Amino acid sequence: MTFELLVFVAGAFLILDARTSHVLVAYVVLVGTVGWFDSPAAQDAPFAFALFALSLFLKLIVTPAGIWLFAHRNAAARSLRPGVSLPLRLIVVLALGFGSQAVSNVPGLAQIPAIGVVAYIILCGLAVLVIHHNLLAQVIGLLVLGTGVTLAGIVCAPELPAVLELGATFDALVVTFIGLMLVRATLTHNPLLEVDSLRSLRG
Amino acid sequence: MIALVVVAPLLAALITTLFHRLDVRRTTRLIVSALAALLPLTLIGSVDGLSLLFAGIVSVISFLATVFSTGMYSVDWGRGPALWTRKSVYFLLLGAFWSAMLLVVLATNFGLLWFGIAATTFATAFLVGFSGEASALEAAWKYLVLCSVGIGIALLGIVLLGRISFGEGVPQELALAWGAIASRHVGAPVPLASLATALMLIGFATKAGLVPMHAWLPDAHSKAPAPISGLLSGVLVSCSLYAIMRTSTVAVALGAGDTFRQLLLAFGVASILVAGALMLVQADLKRLLAYSTVEHAGIVALALGFGGPLGQFAALFHVVAHAFSKSAAFFAAGLVQSENDTTTIANLGGLWRRGLAGRFLLGALAAIGGMPPFALFVSELLLVAAGVAAHQWIALGLGVFGIVLAFAALTRATIAIESGDGPSDARSGAALSRLSIGAAAAALTCAVIVAAVPWTNAGSAFSAIAHGIGVAP
Repeated sequence: MTFELLVFVAGAFLILDARTSHVLVAYVVLVGTVGWFDSPAAQDAPFAFALFALSLFLKLIVTPAGIWLFAHRNAAARSLRPGVSLPLRLIVVLALGFGSQAVSNVPGLAQIPAIGVVAYIILCGLAVLVIHHNLLAQVIGLLVLGTGVTLAGIVCAPELPAVLELGATFDALVVTFIGLMLVRATLTHNPLLEVDSLRSLRG
Repeated sequence: MIALVVVAPLLAALITTLFHRLDVRRTTRLIVSALAALLPLTLIGSVDGLSLLFAGIVSVISFLATVFSTGMYSVDWGRGPALWTRKSVYFLLLGAFWSAMLLVVLATNFGLLWFGIAATTFATAFLVGFSGEASALEAAWKYLVLCSVGIGIALLGIVLLGRISFGEGVPQELALAWGAIASRHVGAPVPLASLATALMLIGFATKAGLVPMHAWLPDAHSKAPAPISGLLSGVLVSCSLYAIMRTSTVAVALGAGDTFRQLLLAFGVASILVAGALMLVQADLKRLLAYSTVEHAGIVALALGFGGPLGQFAALFHVVAHAFSKSAAFFAAGLVQSENDTTTIANLGGLWRRGLAGRFLLGALAAIGGMPPFALFVSELLLVAAGVAAHQWIALGLGVFGIVLAFAALTRATIAIESGDGPSDARSGAALSRLSIGAAAAALTCAVIVAAVPWTNAGSAFSAIAHGIGVAP
């Protein structure tokens, strides 16, 4: 129950809060909670555990540090500039909560433990991508989505820890490394890190 | 041996960086890349026909892109502010991209295949943003975000597939191997199998640029350097379609073939129609070619959706024909850009009279428009025949309408680009590298030669490979 509650609250903060530092804390809580849940499965295989540790290092240390640095040096990056109002974001959070509960009743999925939590995290990741209009939020959204997929792997196919951890680690590496490098390069053209300013290529 | 074939292109790129003299480095790059391109021949008999065919496509076109890049870009090219905008890094990323695509087509299970697809994102995101311009960075960002979401969804499908395999007693080491799953005829619950394969399809279709997951493709393919655009359109899209073909085999084996085919038909028709309509309003040559890639990916999806031996043959043949035709078109666009400093269609009049680049471009546009004697003419006829055989009249009608729209757009652009006197301030006669011209000519020649395949002995081998895709109901 504590696990589900922590994930729900952290996921809700990712969507509701607009301050980068607060969202970063919620992200760390969510990824840390899921990592704590994942760890027993990964501990059985040394290779998988090494990948799991690397993945957690990237998600919990490198990414937050990188985002914090951007926010520290650039005042414009301290807000994630949500594209919808707070009441609407609250409705989105409630919809995600009910939607993820509905997923656990889908035929074929009902027998999978914690599938509702998996669905909630994945939907939260997608919602963060859509709602917040700051490039840093998109990095967070992609990592949350990846965390949800990793948790799906742990609950759906625990017999495949190495494959799952390899996927999770590489996903985190791609998003963290490329994402933060592109954000850094974009700063010269787009100091506000505004998603809306990335609309010159259209049609 | 497979591992060596996969890492060879990356090793070749690393070896090249050891040489400091420019002429030695260029020669070394060409030699070691040629060796890397020949290595897949050693796999004859040890991997299945579909993997071997795609490994051949990946190797030949990646080698041509390396040759084109070597010839096209001069000493002072690639000195942008960021690390990845340097020339040496460009060739390292190109080698990594080539290796990642070989991993996709030579993997024997979905775990490694997914890893290969994810690795292509790692290599190509920087290549898309190589120029360091704001628009290139925008394209790279969209590419990263949308493709990361896509491959995340594909991984979710693969995880569900793993659950199905374990539930039916497939051993751990074979749980994600399509061969093992298909040969055991796993009796999975159909809703779960449909969900797993649909998620995999959506994920891989994102990378293939099928509508509605295509938004990144026109930006990335038009903003990348021309040889990278050729690889993205000609080869990476083919690798993603290869992943869809492997998924279709599993979908049929798990009893989810009908849902999978319906999704393919929907994605195929939507891609052809949307791309055909948007091609009519494009003002930039490379963006026009990029939308044409969406259209051709849609044609392959439609042919796979029609199913049956003819549909499978048409899909496979179209992938091969498109790979050579589209890479030739982007190489030609690169030559045009080099000669004229622009790819804006309105500024490119009279190219036929002004040099070799315009003549190559005319041939390449005819090739991707499906004109005889190019291979896409044959594959589009095969598509129509497959649609008739499958009695899918509505999907076929909409598909043909979209193809006509695309043809009209290409014809209009060709007339605007090739005819007339051109703008008064047009540059002409900029020296083109012989290596780059040779690479473009080789790709265009392959697009003609492939057209003869159905009438040769290779046609029956091709047919046998296509039969293995397993979309037939």
